[in-house]
Amino acid sequence: MQTPTIAEAARLIAARKLSPVELTQHCLDRIKTVDGTLHSFIQVTSERALADASAAEARLMAGASRGPLDGIPIGHKDIYGTRGIATTAHSKLLEGWVPTEDAVTVTKLADAGTIMLGKLATHEFAFGGPSFDLPWPPARNPWNPDHFTSGSSSGTGAAVAAGLILGGTGSDTGGSIRGPAAFCGIAGIKPTYGLCSRRGILPLSFSLDHAGPMAWTVEDCAILLQAMAGYDPIDPASADRPVPDFSAGLGRDAKGLRIGVPRHWHETDFPVEDAVQQGIDRALAVWSGQGAEIIDVVLPSLQEYQAANFIILVAEAYALHEPWFRTRWNDYGELLRDRMVMGGLISAADHLQALRRRREICMLTAEATAGIDLLVTAAAPGEAPRIDSVQKWTNLAKPGFTAPFNLTGWPAMSVCSGFGPGGLPVSVQIAAKPFQEVKLFQAADAFERATHYRAKRPALVS
Amino acid sequence: MANTSREDFEALVRRAGLSLTPEQISTIYEGWGYVEPMLARVRTHGRGREAEPAHIFRPEMFGTEAD
Repeated sequence: MQTPTIAEAARLIAARKLSPVELTQHCLDRIKTVDGTLHSFIQVTSERALADASAAEARLMAGASRGPLDGIPIGHKDIYGTRGIATTAHSKLLEGWVPTEDAVTVTKLADAGTIMLGKLATHEFAFGGPSFDLPWPPARNPWNPDHFTSGSSSGTGAAVAAGLILGGTGSDTGGSIRGPAAFCGIAGIKPTYGLCSRRGILPLSFSLDHAGPMAWTVEDCAILLQAMAGYDPIDPASADRPVPDFSAGLGRDAKGLRIGVPRHWHETDFPVEDAVQQGIDRALAVWSGQGAEIIDVVLPSLQEYQAANFIILVAEAYALHEPWFRTRWNDYGELLRDRMVMGGLISAADHLQALRRRREICMLTAEATAGIDLLVTAAAPGEAPRIDSVQKWTNLAKPGFTAPFNLTGWPAMSVCSGFGPGGLPVSVQIAAKPFQEVKLFQAADAFERATHYRAKRPALVS
Repeated sequence: MANTSREDFEALVRRAGLSLTPEQISTIYEGWGYVEPMLARVRTHGRGREAEPAHIFRPEMFGTEAD
């Protein structure tokens, strides 16, 4: 049995051709077979998963299914609080901590009937990594375990790509959903800021943190986001607005969409590898052929977005970690502490200048994209590098393609756009205006359906 | 290579209340060389005094009606 997509599994379960218990056991068996190599899980909750799967099966047999996620095995990034189950943030500092409450999104996904298989690896506190000096090893890329998954939602990216789970949760403060989705060849969406509650998820940077889903396909991300989204009056950033039907645009083409391309981002500001450029060109050709209008746009440079995003991020992160930095410095992994400490060295005035620059950049971005529905660029500059080649300052030396949409709060997602010469996946990033996830899913799904990249899974050696 | 002198950088570390070894300071000093250009970018845009940050205090978040 090959791990099905969420949509496929939902159809089979509804038709009583696939049992949630059988599907859960398949995933647990697969974890046992390959996760010794991938290290995508920090903890596997087999017993609870099988009990929840039996309950889902009972609902199905009683004609009381909760919908397309009922009986679907997933995993949660280990910064998502889980009641009664250890939540570590992949850090020695939280070893043994057991939350008394579920994160709001964990509750929502459980209410939709998902089966939690366990807690997934992350870069330490969603920031450092890949680190080799933590209580658990870093996750490995299923397409080639010698290579990096990106992060920080590293375990979710690896586990979805390897078919250990059908979907999972991630968080994204500078690209932590879209980066691993790109390197692991899956789909991952950072929704609009405020669409998903962050309550119960360990914070990194309050004004930049986003919760979102990762899955094998765009359609599966839409299904997961439908369950995760919604107003939470206790999360100050939560958006009090109706949740649309995210599947409304699926199965349609891109006709009528106006797609902006900030070519200078991936051609000049940070030139991408040929395979990534070809993937972008393929996506634009597909959409153009379906009747979308492709328009070049000029935005602030990637470096402008990176500067404001990084300064805000590390200032807010350092404020959260400062007490431990002073008392438990050596308990952090080297990568996290050496990067995050920068937040303790910048001045309050510089933090405020970054916040003022953020408003200016958001306004410039909005002005330059008037009349545009979507933006398209790279998600990552190339294929995943070897995990042992990642340098401590790589993420500072070059600007990322993902941070612009943390800074602006726009929804953005990574979608597999082909494979590079090393056999590893490459991706395209698509972004939409705030709360326009339906158009984003429409275009992403149209591209995915027009290509054949979802037919190829990593060939893992057990 | 950072523009800030090593002595001035060590003063920043002390101000943060951190007690680090010379080797740890050397490592972070290297990274500071990448942060400095970012600080320059957010400082130098000739914005007016009236330009507010992206996040301002909203009193209605904490109740607006008389009890």
